[in-house]
Amino acid sequence: MSVTPSTSRTTPLAAATAVVDLGLRACVAYGRDDLHQRLAAVRRSLADPRVHVVVVGEFKQGKSSLVNALVGAKVCPVADDVATALPTYVRHGEPAAAELMLDGDPPRRQPLPLTDLPTWVMERDPTAAVTGGGSTGAEASERPVGVEVRVPRAVLAGGLVVVDTPGVGGLGSGYAAASLAAASMAEAVLFVTDASQELTAAEVEFLRRARQVCPTVACVLTKTDFYPAWRKVRDLNQGHLRRVADGEVPVIPVSSTLRTRAVTAGDRRLNQESGFADLVAFLRDRVGRDAAVRLAQRAAGEVIGVCDQLQAQFEAERGALADPESARRVVEQLNQVKARVESLRSAAARWNLTLTDGVADLTADIDHDLRARIREVIAEADRSIEDIDPADTWPQLEAWLESRVAQQMLSTYTLLKQRATDLSEQVASHFAEASGQALRQFPISDPAPLATSVEVDHNLDLTRMSTGKQAWVALRSAYGGAIMFVMLGALTGFTLGPLALGIGLVMGRKGLKEEKQRQLAHRRAQARAAVRRYCDQVSFVMGKDCRDTLRRIQRELRDHYSALAEEINRSHTEALRAATEAANRTQAERTKRLKDLDAELARVRELRRRAEAVTGSRAVVTR
Amino acid sequence: MNLIDETRALLADAHDLYRGTPQAAHLDVLAARLEQPLRIAVAGRVKAGKSTLLNALIGDRLAPTDAGECTRIVTWYQDGHTYRVLAHPATGGTARQLRFHRDGGALHIDLGDLAPDTVSHLEVTWPSRALRTATMIDTPGIGSLSDRTSARTWDTLAPDTEDDTPADAVIYLMRHLHRDDLDFLHAFHDTEVSRPNPVNAIAVLSRADEIGVGRLDAMASARRIAHRMATDPQVRRLVQTVIPVAGLLAETAATLTETEHTHLRALAQLTPADANALLLTADRALQGLPDLGLTPEQAGSLLARFGLFGLRLATTLLRHNVATTATQLAAELAERSGINQLREILQTLFFQRRDILKSRSVLSALDTLVRTHPRPGGDRIAARVEQVIASAHPFNELRILSAVRAGWITGKPEVLDELERLIGGEGDEIHRRLHLPPDTDTATLTKAASQALSTWQRRAENPLTSHELALAARVAVRTCEGMLVRLRAER
Repeated sequence: MSVTPSTSRTTPLAAATAVVDLGLRACVAYGRDDLHQRLAAVRRSLADPRVHVVVVGEFKQGKSSLVNALVGAKVCPVADDVATALPTYVRHGEPAAAELMLDGDPPRRQPLPLTDLPTWVMERDPTAAVTGGGSTGAEASERPVGVEVRVPRAVLAGGLVVVDTPGVGGLGSGYAAASLAAASMAEAVLFVTDASQELTAAEVEFLRRARQVCPTVACVLTKTDFYPAWRKVRDLNQGHLRRVADGEVPVIPVSSTLRTRAVTAGDRRLNQESGFADLVAFLRDRVGRDAAVRLAQRAAGEVIGVCDQLQAQFEAERGALADPESARRVVEQLNQVKARVESLRSAAARWNLTLTDGVADLTADIDHDLRARIREVIAEADRSIEDIDPADTWPQLEAWLESRVAQQMLSTYTLLKQRATDLSEQVASHFAEASGQALRQFPISDPAPLATSVEVDHNLDLTRMSTGKQAWVALRSAYGGAIMFVMLGALTGFTLGPLALGIGLVMGRKGLKEEKQRQLAHRRAQARAAVRRYCDQVSFVMGKDCRDTLRRIQRELRDHYSALAEEINRSHTEALRAATEAANRTQAERTKRLKDLDAELARVRELRRRAEAVTGSRAVVTR
Repeated sequence: MNLIDETRALLADAHDLYRGTPQAAHLDVLAARLEQPLRIAVAGRVKAGKSTLLNALIGDRLAPTDAGECTRIVTWYQDGHTYRVLAHPATGGTARQLRFHRDGGALHIDLGDLAPDTVSHLEVTWPSRALRTATMIDTPGIGSLSDRTSARTWDTLAPDTEDDTPADAVIYLMRHLHRDDLDFLHAFHDTEVSRPNPVNAIAVLSRADEIGVGRLDAMASARRIAHRMATDPQVRRLVQTVIPVAGLLAETAATLTETEHTHLRALAQLTPADANALLLTADRALQGLPDLGLTPEQAGSLLARFGLFGLRLATTLLRHNVATTATQLAAELAERSGINQLREILQTLFFQRRDILKSRSVLSALDTLVRTHPRPGGDRIAARVEQVIASAHPFNELRILSAVRAGWITGKPEVLDELERLIGGEGDEIHRRLHLPPDTDTATLTKAASQALSTWQRRAENPLTSHELALAARVAVRTCEGMLVRLRAER
């Protein structure tokens, strides 16, 4: 194999791909199919990068129109009244096609004719939904949780996945928590607000929090064609954002109407006027580049890991060859390490025990945390029910409850994420200790911090390796469940029974007061019972979701470290074999092999150097 | 004795009882209120377009409007012989007269050295035909940055008891929101001027032209949405109906000038393609209008007055000769803005019932007063108030009406619809109650009323009818009897 050090001036993804390809060839050359497998997976993720951009905002701000105008195709149905009800994932694909994602056991996908999109994505007839009290009938074993649309559009070709979310419920409700959860999973958030008025307090607060969970946030000001005062609104919004986000959130004014016209007519000047040129540039230069850099760093990090193992193997052999006297010592050392390495693979290894115990503790803690939070919500609800007449304020109470529960769920997930990250770090350190190799730690999830400081995860950045990503996917599916749970508004099933209020008008004046009191007490009791039923269901769903998530995390971490233990074991075995052979070689053979080895080591070092160039200077940390 | 006379008599008796106490002045105010025009408050969230709608209803650009938040003090607009602005201090005491001037239509009031939060409300007296039938109350939207100011204003406006409300009827303005949205309900609950009640409240889907983002069919879309909202159970128990109004267009239609008409004509001379290109965006309109001979200021003001939707609509109307003169254009724009429909609804639901609504406000205020300031003999007044409230047929109708709308009376939907109409849910006139065209002759009306009478008598006595519906049926029977008496008198 040969290394040509000059291609690093291309895009990070291309550079990373080149490095990974070299790594793959090295693995083949050295017969390490285990390492080859690992890099092959990395190579696949490089070939198909996904950059999730979540479009969020209040009801009727033009989110779907924005997505349509961006990709230049009618992929998200738009209507004056009914709103989007399912998240739509728009990505590149040829030919255009759509799939419905169903949340069954197991989840499955079902092809969908493009013409049927509105029936699935839009709310069902709103009047029917009001009187029918929620989505009845559709609750078979599978319910739709999203729609994926693939369209052949250049703007998406870089792996961009634009997610159109339902804006139902308003930012003061559970929707906000769900959107934030979605935002914390995404590479970037496009916050949509129209130019009819400046940002409201709720919108500003949402943006502030989104900024904490997502690295890249932009505020898109829509409908600039319709509102003459949009420049004033833009300036006001920029002022608000400067206060909460130090101006790191740009305001991008756009007109979807103009963009659609421009795309249809192929009018470049009109496209410029629509403001979409800026938006596309933002997505390409800021979002796309950042995501590509992260992905490239992750891939290069994998290559460095592979280099470490190869290098260790060759250096051991070289040590044995260079000095025949010390050969025995090297073999001895390797033998000692071998026992340790082998013990790594056993179920009694310390890291494994840490993991098992940690997950058990964590399950109990999360369960306790969840219960405490739900109890708190119930107590708060009880207190407010004491002060009100549920007949008057039940709808508000319902909305409050949903939003409160959503916030609590988000807190529980945050705790779960943090604690799981801590555990994974602990396991990693025990593993590293035992393996005698300064292994990198594996972040359990996207370290976009919910509470922790931003500085820490710059160091973690390059340590994102495929397994960390897998655990992250495990967490994400848990989030997904929570999001849909919040969005579907499980409370709709728990409306109060018929409220016998009208009796008041038919009774004599005497008994009226007592009767009113009695009915009020009855209504309050009903309301309290409804709150409890709802909270019970939430705890049940959440509890199960958390336990499942933890089990998944445990399994994935165990699989990852077991595989790693195997790899290390294999490297050691190879080294040991080579070293033992070296001791028995003739001088001539030795000299030849030594020359080969030096060449190989130089190549591995060069590969490593190039991988480090991709990850940036911070890569030195790994040594 | 009809309801308003009964109320007057009650007030007179109460006045005798409270003579020489501080409450006597309050009773004078209440008595005067019976003779004054109906008070209608315009309420809603910030930037819902309250002042714009108020101007449209008055037909004059009195209330200042702006892209930012601008109404900060509750302002009453009432008819009178002179032009005058009074500031009522929050601490009580005598009102102060304020200086004001008009600039480009809108009224500018100079608060002088008064801080806004020391003023309970402003009282603008303005000779105006529209204000003769109703005193309009403009309110600052709640949920704004100046929360404290507005909250304080509410405190003074709506004193301790929720019954003593300054407004007889309320128009709630709301923008297009999802029914699951918290703000959707806040639109009604934020204000303390008067608690929402299907008896004296209607909702307006404001800024209706924005729903279709200025497409020519935007109003049709808005009507569909308003209709859907009006059938939502949560909305039904709060307001009688929901009407879409493009407030800006209505305001402009009411105050259209000849100059603006000339400018619009110039715009209509363009070919449809050119006009569309010019009106594609607000920016283009601002840049393109000066080519038609307008100064940049005129272009800006034309856009501000009409909005893109208004310009598109007016141009189309002029081009197709639907309207040729400024007067015709104003009439067409008003019709399309939905303001006429709103006026009609106000007429049938509020003005025709003004005596009932005013008596209702005054009686509940009297009830509160008697209970909070007891005097020997006061319980006699209280008992009579209660008797009037409990027995007056119009009140019974209103109570059944709100019970039906709140869903407390159950039955077949068509029966409930019929009941709602019969007890005046769509207006007080007999033909409306009987669901007949306005020009129906007396004989047909009498026949229909007799039929309704026997139907509802049967329902009232049918043992299978639910208890609540039977009681409602008895009220309906009274209504039918009353109608027959009125019809006989007409003959």
